[in-house]
Amino acid sequence: MASALAQLQGCAQLRLEAQHAPSSRCVAPAQRAVQQRRLQRRGGSGSAAPAAPRATAVAAAPAAHVAAEDKWIERTLEAVVPDSASLPAPLASLQSGCLSALATARMPTTRNEEYRFTDVSPVLQAALAPSAGPAAAPAAALDAALAAAGMREAAAATVVVVDGQIDEQRSSLGGLPQGVYVGGLAGAPQDVVSFALGAQSRARGGAFALLNGAAARDALVVHIPANLTLSGSIHILYLSSGAAAEAAGQAALAAPRLLAVLEEGASAEIVEEFASLAPADGTASTAGTATASKDGPAGYLTTAVAEFELDDRAALKHSYVTLEGANAAHAKSTLVNQGTESSYSLTEVRVGGRLTRHDLSIEQLGEATQSQMRSFLLCGDGQLHDLHSKLKLDHPQGEANQLHKCIVSSPSGRGVFDGNVKVNRLAQKTDAQQLSRNLLLVPRATVNVKPNLQIIADDVKCTHGCTVSDLEEEELFYLKSRGISADVARQMLVYSFGREVVQCLRDEALQARVEAAMRRTLASFTGAAQ
Amino acid sequence: MLSTASVAARAPCGIGASRRQQRGAAARGRRQFCLVRAAKGDVLLEIHDLQAKVAATGKQILKGVTLTVREGEVHAIMGKNGSGKSTLSKVLVGHPDYEVTGGSAAYKGVDLFELEPEQRSHMGLFLSFQSPVEIPGVSNIDFLRIATNARRKAAGEKELDPLEFYAHVMPKLEALNMDPAFLNRNVNEGFSGGEKKRNEILQLACLEADMAILDEIDSGLDIDALRDVSKAVNGLKSQQQDMGILMVTHYKRLLDYIRPDYVHIMQEGRIVTTGDMGLVDKLEESGYSVLSSSA
Repeated sequence: MASALAQLQGCAQLRLEAQHAPSSRCVAPAQRAVQQRRLQRRGGSGSAAPAAPRATAVAAAPAAHVAAEDKWIERTLEAVVPDSASLPAPLASLQSGCLSALATARMPTTRNEEYRFTDVSPVLQAALAPSAGPAAAPAAALDAALAAAGMREAAAATVVVVDGQIDEQRSSLGGLPQGVYVGGLAGAPQDVVSFALGAQSRARGGAFALLNGAAARDALVVHIPANLTLSGSIHILYLSSGAAAEAAGQAALAAPRLLAVLEEGASAEIVEEFASLAPADGTASTAGTATASKDGPAGYLTTAVAEFELDDRAALKHSYVTLEGANAAHAKSTLVNQGTESSYSLTEVRVGGRLTRHDLSIEQLGEATQSQMRSFLLCGDGQLHDLHSKLKLDHPQGEANQLHKCIVSSPSGRGVFDGNVKVNRLAQKTDAQQLSRNLLLVPRATVNVKPNLQIIADDVKCTHGCTVSDLEEEELFYLKSRGISADVARQMLVYSFGREVVQCLRDEALQARVEAAMRRTLASFTGAAQ
Repeated sequence: MLSTASVAARAPCGIGASRRQQRGAAARGRRQFCLVRAAKGDVLLEIHDLQAKVAATGKQILKGVTLTVREGEVHAIMGKNGSGKSTLSKVLVGHPDYEVTGGSAAYKGVDLFELEPEQRSHMGLFLSFQSPVEIPGVSNIDFLRIATNARRKAAGEKELDPLEFYAHVMPKLEALNMDPAFLNRNVNEGFSGGEKKRNEILQLACLEADMAILDEIDSGLDIDALRDVSKAVNGLKSQQQDMGILMVTHYKRLLDYIRPDYVHIMQEGRIVTTGDMGLVDKLEESGYSVLSSSA
């Protein structure tokens, strides 16, 4: 705290200036001052940024030192923050906002309620370096990963994002209808970007979302104009070369960012798939687990942010799948604003990665919205998957339905779930359901689950429930009574438990990839593959 | 094995007076034919003084049930709620909630309680559950195929690939008046009461069981569904005349469709009376109280 004060005092002069500077951001004046100082220090001219005219008063100084209270943040920022001059204007202003917030932020520890059961300290031991990007990634490995992914033919567009940067060569955007934009910030509709980029993550994002904003080199923008129904999905494949480019105890950081804006009455389907570029992915999982535990925290960190703006009556089907390598840490923020009568439907499947955390925040901006969340998390050897979801209802007649399913198949695996549905005073006639089902397949497997409803409105229908169990005896017996052996019956039930969510992915090739990854994770439990 | 009696059993309806006499004779002679080949057929299921309790609470439910089913015979068990009818059917297929405390049950000459539930199924013993569980995430067709192949494998027959299985299951589906869309739905998930029962009988048809225990297949069925389900059971029976059937029911209307050779009344964990359809008529008239006064 003392250092923060000193810092603020040190820039008192700047603060005065900052108060006069026109700014569209809702940053507190004190923060703005820091923001400005940061820009000075980094020597970013950023003069191209219309939203950041304050950057002009800057004397060039070497980007030697980034001050932050939290030492890890400081070290990390020094290593990974790109020169703001090289960034598109909206991103530069996002960066400066994030840097100023990070100056006083701390990375979470298990003493924070939000991270009580999710210990991110292994991630924070690593020295991070920016990841290589598409140019440096081995082309052969990229092509192999793409071939393995077998992108769906029916997809309206496929976008390949390598280490947070769009690989235009490998993406295919040809088939999009007139008016739809999918691509990097550079060509994106400026009005859309300027009102929406970073708006939600600034207000509701956590430390990892800030880190993304500070380290992002580009953002993928999806814009669907009013009343357009996009047939076929937009499939975004995020590949991390981190596992491959890893060197001398340094872990690579990738900061991919997505902004999707659906105008009135538009509807679309967006698939976000995270995978690693690890060689020979088929065997990497089991081998990777062993090496990861020996080498300590080295690996890579993906900190991803996705912001969705759904205008009135817009409908978005969102799939989010992580199949990352066994030495990956993954922190994802998904932020959704829902206009009147809009519908947001999420299908989330997390199988890969050593430590993954998803912060999902949905806010209702109008009445009669529909929000559906289905999640399936499979925690194998040494894996921790955490879902923190917050749904805030402020308008009448919202419908919400959340299903969380988690399997822990190893004594060293852990699942964490905190699902919050907040029904505020004006959200009358809300219909919200929440169910968390957890399967602990072995002794000492752990889940920490907290489905919770906060209800202030008095005329609502809300239910929530939670089960933690081994496989259902009754279901096992039913299968056995039909002549199916105990082993096969257990396998069928374990797979089916997840399939209830996985089959909502609707893309068969993607489902097959997920099921292959599930089989690998469950191999230690089920013995031979099915 | 195709004695006159079993031929008669093929006709689902209209048990004549002469047949009833035959039945009566067979019933009287049942004991002494236990160990030799009877005119009717081999003994399929022989339950002797079976006692069982609920594993969790220790509550004794079955207090000495004795019953013999021969190939081709149709038996019905009736009785008040809580008399142990469903427990008997579940104990026979090895439900883990119950513990056998005494007596014996032999199926095709093998001690049932030495076998795992799946082995009992492989030998052709089938229970149609009163309220089958839903299994989200397992598609019906996968489930049926895996179950069918498990039985075929145990019998040393060739397993069916998905395409072959489709051809195998379609006529059975038609016989049950079931929409083929059933196959792609998850096992029992969101099924209506009638659909669940049809699905049970579809499994019976796929598994080609030798001994079917039907636990209240009439509960929750509307009139049309009851007719379809009964017709399907009778159809299976006519294809496979040796099949033994043990039905648990509360109502005469099912027995009007699937005519039993024997009707047993259970009370407090025992079979207290055995008779034929005449007994059912008597029950319909005056309820179970008639038994306690006559017993």
